[in-house]
Amino acid sequence: MQLKLHSTWLSAFRAFVLLSGLLILPVCDIDHGIAPLPGKLSVQVFFLNKEVPEQTQGVYLFVAPVFPPHAINELFLSPNSIPLDNDTVMAEIVLPYGHYEAVGLWWYSTLTESNLADVFTLKLGPDFLPYQFDITPEKPHHEIELFANLDRVNRESSLEGTITFNGPFPPNTLATAVAAFQHVPQRDVEYYVWLESIDFSVDSNPFHFRLPVRSRRRIRYIAVFWLGEKMGLHELRMLGFYENPDVPGTPGEFLPRTGETLTGVDIQADWAKAVR
Amino acid sequence: MRHQKSVPPFFSFGELFLNIRILLFGIGLLGISNLFAQGTITGRAVDAATGKPLPAVNIQVLGTVRGAATDGAGNFRITNLPPGAYALRASMIAYKPVAQDHVVVRPDRETEVLFELKETPIEFEPIVVLGGRTKQRLDLSPVSLSVVTSREIRARNATNLVDALESAPGIHFIGDQINIRGSTGYTFGAGNKVLLLLDGVPVYASDTGQFNWDMLPPLDIEQIEVLKGAGSTLWGASALGGVVNVITQDPTPQGRLMFSMSAGKYDKPHYREWEWTDHGRLHYTRKDVSYGRRIGNAGLRLSAGHHVSTGYTELGDFDKFNLTGKFDYYFPRSVKWTTYAAYSLIDRGFFIQWKSQNDPYEVDPSNLDNYATVNQLNLYTRLAVPFSSRFGLTVRASMVRSLMGNEFGEGSGFNPAIGQGGEIQADWIPSPLHTLTAGVQYQHDAGSTKFIGDRKGYFIGPYIQDEWKILHNLRVTAGFRYDRYQLVGGLKEDLWSPRLGVNWKPSERSSVRASVGSGFRAATIVERFLELSIMNFKILRNENLKAEQAWAYDIGGRFYFTENWNIDLSLFLNDYRELIEAHLDLIRGQIQFRNIPRARLKGVEATTRWASPVFFAGRNWKPALELTLTAMDHEDLKWNEPLPYRPKVIGNIKAQMESGPVHAEAVYRYAGRIDAVKVYPINDRVPMKFFDVRLSYSVWKLKVLCGVVNLLQYNYAPMESNLMPMRTFTFGLQGAL
Repeated sequence: MQLKLHSTWLSAFRAFVLLSGLLILPVCDIDHGIAPLPGKLSVQVFFLNKEVPEQTQGVYLFVAPVFPPHAINELFLSPNSIPLDNDTVMAEIVLPYGHYEAVGLWWYSTLTESNLADVFTLKLGPDFLPYQFDITPEKPHHEIELFANLDRVNRESSLEGTITFNGPFPPNTLATAVAAFQHVPQRDVEYYVWLESIDFSVDSNPFHFRLPVRSRRRIRYIAVFWLGEKMGLHELRMLGFYENPDVPGTPGEFLPRTGETLTGVDIQADWAKAVR
Repeated sequence: MRHQKSVPPFFSFGELFLNIRILLFGIGLLGISNLFAQGTITGRAVDAATGKPLPAVNIQVLGTVRGAATDGAGNFRITNLPPGAYALRASMIAYKPVAQDHVVVRPDRETEVLFELKETPIEFEPIVVLGGRTKQRLDLSPVSLSVVTSREIRARNATNLVDALESAPGIHFIGDQINIRGSTGYTFGAGNKVLLLLDGVPVYASDTGQFNWDMLPPLDIEQIEVLKGAGSTLWGASALGGVVNVITQDPTPQGRLMFSMSAGKYDKPHYREWEWTDHGRLHYTRKDVSYGRRIGNAGLRLSAGHHVSTGYTELGDFDKFNLTGKFDYYFPRSVKWTTYAAYSLIDRGFFIQWKSQNDPYEVDPSNLDNYATVNQLNLYTRLAVPFSSRFGLTVRASMVRSLMGNEFGEGSGFNPAIGQGGEIQADWIPSPLHTLTAGVQYQHDAGSTKFIGDRKGYFIGPYIQDEWKILHNLRVTAGFRYDRYQLVGGLKEDLWSPRLGVNWKPSERSSVRASVGSGFRAATIVERFLELSIMNFKILRNENLKAEQAWAYDIGGRFYFTENWNIDLSLFLNDYRELIEAHLDLIRGQIQFRNIPRARLKGVEATTRWASPVFFAGRNWKPALELTLTAMDHEDLKWNEPLPYRPKVIGNIKAQMESGPVHAEAVYRYAGRIDAVKVYPINDRVPMKFFDVRLSYSVWKLKVLCGVVNLLQYNYAPMESNLMPMRTFTFGLQGAL
């Protein structure tokens, strides 16, 4: 009986050794884990305005696999600022194989926190939608041209007003923002194509805002947006917009002069619109 | 006549009163308590194969608070034992424990005992203290424990505690943060959900809660014990996901000089485009020396270490010094006073993230001056007074002064954080059926920097635990602790930590354990108050962070298929409330520590060890195999998504062989791909697959070691944008004179 028991254990042990061998086997298939990214996007950047703002920390090339992204950490960002010392510069970013829905330039300031509106260049296709491309094993290297105007980050004018909410902020609020646009966005992606300025610090009711905008550029839409916890940038909920006092129900417009502060941009925000 | 009983008399209040009086009148007067005739056990421990005496064998008188260690000639002596029959157990690293069940002590007589210990390549049942705060066999613990012995640490040629711990069952490191069964994830340099103890004394930085894994030279380590799951009932704050206890070596009876020299040479990266410097220069060296001896009743051990490295990345270089000292003194009646101090000074760079996946060993040039000086002083003093064989009192005071800096490149902006602690612990065996442990612990933490202001907080927590031997093979442990946490000028929290455990040994070859217990961790000062802008992110304070709490359920067993083959199985479930995690607001570029209302972590862990003599070509090759596997499922119950920075599978396979002076081992370390990260979810994530080999040759009192870590050049990033070292060739020379 004792002998039988031991032979059972011996068999179990052999199986155990065999299993161990099988577990070790994958090691022999030389897998090196993380590898250099195989693809590359080369961008020739033409600066339309050579003046670099004093508060420039750098200008980074970004590529978005999905646009609008869920969050800003879902962008591939160049490790260094692109050169800013010439009218025409070359920039590169390494990428994995895949499909990409947007490419652009992001300006970083030394003075203010990063703002989505600091995406001052977004390459657009002929349909005025973000340019898309693929990096594949057959074509791992893609080249494009970008026309950039750093003047877009000079927001020396401003809009001032008060946002009044029709109730308290929902407990699942991630962020509430006020934003200005060059055109009235019609689709999710256009919220970022036509974005002029955005401020995510809206956190009280009523909230007095001061939104920096470029001078001599027409602002056709100013609206309040809400994002709940876990919601992405592609899920902005519009709570209300600045209405033309003469034609209620339609967006009001502004054309600020250089350095001008336009006041009275008051917006009524309706939490019911947060639930879609 | 009353002293002729086979069982020693129970503790009496009269004796307690007498003993308190003795304590008050001074240790020198303790002799007056010796009013009744007592007996002595003397003995010897030898190697069963060679007959050579064995020094430093741990002799435990089971069912009492007494014990001893053998001297250089293998002899031991335990005095002042009440007459009766005792069970003794002898244990030593590299040997199988031996027990003698019926050792009779007579009044004014010496009883002689001989222990013959057999060598084993693997420790099967070491003595641990983490399970119940008193020395206990591993297989009698009601909770899941693992042990890393000094022999394993030296065989690994470990340069710090991370090296020593990384192959232990259920443990996985994410950067510098230890995960016991997925406990911690990655907390961005603030807070640990595991408690680190040095000889039972908490040693976390009082502001950040971080650990200094370089706090002592590896030569100082006797054993590391790991408790898995919540352990606040006995160990207090921070024992949420587990406890790690580093036990330091005592001075040896005869003078003993130990030294260790190790060096490592980093290979070139596997991919040519990752080369960033002259890779021929990338290396590290570590030198440690220690000397300890006893003279009469006093013992002293001093150690020093120097660890310098170029690093394998930019900003990976460091220069580390260690200085430690342990002093103990035996007063009459085995009263022991121990003082230990460990000082470490570290100049190091902080590699936060790679420049890009195609330049993974480089950082953004703007971060190249990201260096800081980090230092820590750990100090404790402890007095252990065994008033009788059944009642002992331990009093300790401790201090941790740490300038930890942080991972945000602001190390120089931090002032030293001061943690001060005190504890009184009583161990009482009122009857052979009960072992009672009770005490009260106080801990005061203070941190002050321009980023957090001046902050102070303290805990005070009484605790009690009883181990009740219901049957000879069935033990029930019940314990309870209450902690009051007070943030000076801020919130107060009351925390309750009960625990219930069972250990059943249906046979000599099996034991079954089950436990349910709770743990907690109050938010660190940094988690609550840090305000800092870094890399386009703003860190926001959250003063209202609640303490995180966990209920841990653990059921397991340890079974011996043969004398040399066992398996340890556990099923575990940790139910967290108010789990503290870093919340990244990627819309506004803000980081804040917040509570997750509910989270759950459950899984299974299996460890099997086999070791047996195998004779081939006239030699005993002493092969041994160890397999560990931990499979987990974890979930944030609010959002039904996996908890970040936690792999679902971790495992190790270790095979070793020893013949004469040659020892060889191969280790495969695996961790599954991490499901969720916070900073760069689009970065490549892969499982961890490291394969290490080591070879050593012992000659005279020296051991020469060489090895290759990450032999197959596997590139693994435990958290985003941080690669682990490439293949590293290691060399070492160890000696004990």
